[in-house]
Amino acid sequence: MSLDYLLYPGCVASVRELGYEISMRRVFEALDIGLKKSNDFNCCMPACLVHSFDYKRGLALTSRNLCIAGEFDMPLLTLCSSCFGNLSRAKYLLDTNDDLRRDVNDILGEVGREYKSGVRVEQVITALYKDYTVKKLKRMIGSPLKKVKAAPFYGCHIFLPGRYTKFDDSEFPKNLDSLIRVTGAESVDYHEKTSCCIGCGSFFGELSEKASVILAETILESASKVSADCIITTCPFCIMQLEMGQIRLKTEKGVDYRMPVMHYVDLLGLSMGLSAKELGLDIRRSDMNPFLSKIN
Amino acid sequence: MVTSRELLSRLVDEKKLTYCENCGMCTASCPLARAIPEIYNPRVLLQRVIFDLDELIKSEEFWLCAWCYRCTERCPQGIQPTEIFLLTRNFAVEKGHVPNNPKAIMREIIRSGRSIPVFEDFDDWREDYGLPPIGPTISKEALEEQRKIMGEEFLRRLQG
Repeated sequence: MSLDYLLYPGCVASVRELGYEISMRRVFEALDIGLKKSNDFNCCMPACLVHSFDYKRGLALTSRNLCIAGEFDMPLLTLCSSCFGNLSRAKYLLDTNDDLRRDVNDILGEVGREYKSGVRVEQVITALYKDYTVKKLKRMIGSPLKKVKAAPFYGCHIFLPGRYTKFDDSEFPKNLDSLIRVTGAESVDYHEKTSCCIGCGSFFGELSEKASVILAETILESASKVSADCIITTCPFCIMQLEMGQIRLKTEKGVDYRMPVMHYVDLLGLSMGLSAKELGLDIRRSDMNPFLSKIN
Repeated sequence: MVTSRELLSRLVDEKKLTYCENCGMCTASCPLARAIPEIYNPRVLLQRVIFDLDELIKSEEFWLCAWCYRCTERCPQGIQPTEIFLLTRNFAVEKGHVPNNPKAIMREIIRSGRSIPVFEDFDDWREDYGLPPIGPTISKEALEEQRKIMGEEFLRRLQG
């Protein structure tokens, strides 16, 4: 049976992290997973921003996307954990609170829409793990990455809070580790594995930037200490924050971590025998060449 | 003026705010409190929601939460600090206290339907990499619907 998803592109992947979008599309094509497009979506409406202005109208704006997905006979697939978190949160809140659902549906009624439960929301990582499955991925690995030590970085909205996302253990997640091991790479344990990049708080200017650089340094230092060859994320926002963090650390403190930060699909694509160029690894902020020459 | 007490009646039943034991699990779990402890402390913020709301909503620190939900996941009393902060920001916005950065991004969402602006020739760039176009904004119909769902009051809060 073929897998098909309705693609929810989001802004970080399709505007800021084109390399990741290229890679994701190429890998899904090679896995024969179909991606359907809709032109009707609006922004996922980050809860920490939009819902801060109006909790219920914010929820209505987010769930408008779920109404659209409901018109298709396939799950919604997000590229970004933040979109996944927002949409999963809206789904959970509306499915578990009748009063809230009624209020939100009153608002949606103003534009002739109604939220109905039953839409499945997935993210690239959850789709690969739950729907495609580790077992089937194993059969696709043509060039196992035996020499690579990869540091998994889970981020937040892929698994937190557990009751919204229903993916992985909320204290000791392990699904990304399993996915990494499929590629033949070693998934190294390190202190900052379940830390946060503060990408989703980056709306708030200087203070959040300051905090994100401090945490980026902690995360990079921790991954370097266990001699990781790369950090593997589940989310394009984490890629952006950890790469921008490295650039700032280099210019402001003269510390150069030279740590490639990639999404899991990049690692998977390489282990499937796809070339660096096919995966858009030639247009990243980090210099991927030292890493690539190590695997070849 | 809506008093702290009135707001609390909105929050307490659903979010169990007064169950807070002041244990500090939220602060111990918070990435922001770890990075900038002198500025951000969710345990103190929660206490201030109860006892110092009118002053709290004037501060900008209170907007920093990146809603990672670690505090919500771990709170031994089942309080949901993340959702409480979102609701309390609603209260701040009602009172006209909105920092500039969130306002600017909200305006971009209203203009283009995205939180990150796209420059004019962006689709040419995407095409060079073999990616399908996304358009300078989301579709006109979606933008119009978005505006209707936001409503007059929501849009008014972004002025000034």
